[in-house]
Amino acid sequence: MSKEAIYHPLFIFLLIALSFMLLVCLIRAVKGPRVADRLMAVNMMGTMVMVMISVLALLLKEGYLVDICLIYAMISFLSVVVISKVYIGIYEEQHHKQEKEEGGYADERS
Amino acid sequence: MQMNAVEWLRLIIGCLFILTGMVIFFTELFGVFHFKYVLNRMHAAAMGDTLGISACLIGLMIFSGLNFTTLKMFLVIVFLWFASPVSSHVLSRLEAATNDNLSAYCELYEDVELLEQELAGAGEDKNTKEKEASVS
Repeated sequence: MSKEAIYHPLFIFLLIALSFMLLVCLIRAVKGPRVADRLMAVNMMGTMVMVMISVLALLLKEGYLVDICLIYAMISFLSVVVISKVYIGIYEEQHHKQEKEEGGYADERS
Repeated sequence: MQMNAVEWLRLIIGCLFILTGMVIFFTELFGVFHFKYVLNRMHAAAMGDTLGISACLIGLMIFSGLNFTTLKMFLVIVFLWFASPVSSHVLSRLEAATNDNLSAYCELYEDVELLEQELAGAGEDKNTKEKEASVS
């Protein structure tokens, strides 16, 4: 039995299984009641896409695809950190604004 | 091209690693849908980020053999070991900072000293129990 005949169907099966898991992750990202849920689901999808890219690199015998996988890992990490920091900043800004407005109303009433 | 014994061995060991990785990914998905709150779900999600991708990529590294592709996959694993705990931590801080009624979901301590006291008390209790058990 040749090497190609074993590895090719194996990789195809792996890709199909991973893409089903990716769809389930997407359902979590759409359903997630809170922002942290959605971000977590996107992070999980990034992990699975990394495995898919590595499988594709071996399937197509193109070594440079793993470089893309490395860059994908870095960008995914960066996006999660930046979006969380920005969201925390926006939330605290709105919170302070609300407290100020409430304080202002209290002053007017008194 | 016929396969010799070493290649069969590589195929079997790599398949075992990849199977482990897929099982861990499946567990991760099950946990994410099973738990009820983000901070619980995060526990399941962080497992797949480190252990699941490591197992899958180690399997693929065994398939690939010794070349630069293997080295790059190893770099991906090392990077994720550093990055995944940090991103989980940042996500949990996001949840703790933006949820107004966090105490409805988990036990909160106003003062850190209270938590330390309780932990110290639990440790002492455990120690005394162990001592009693060893005496009896």
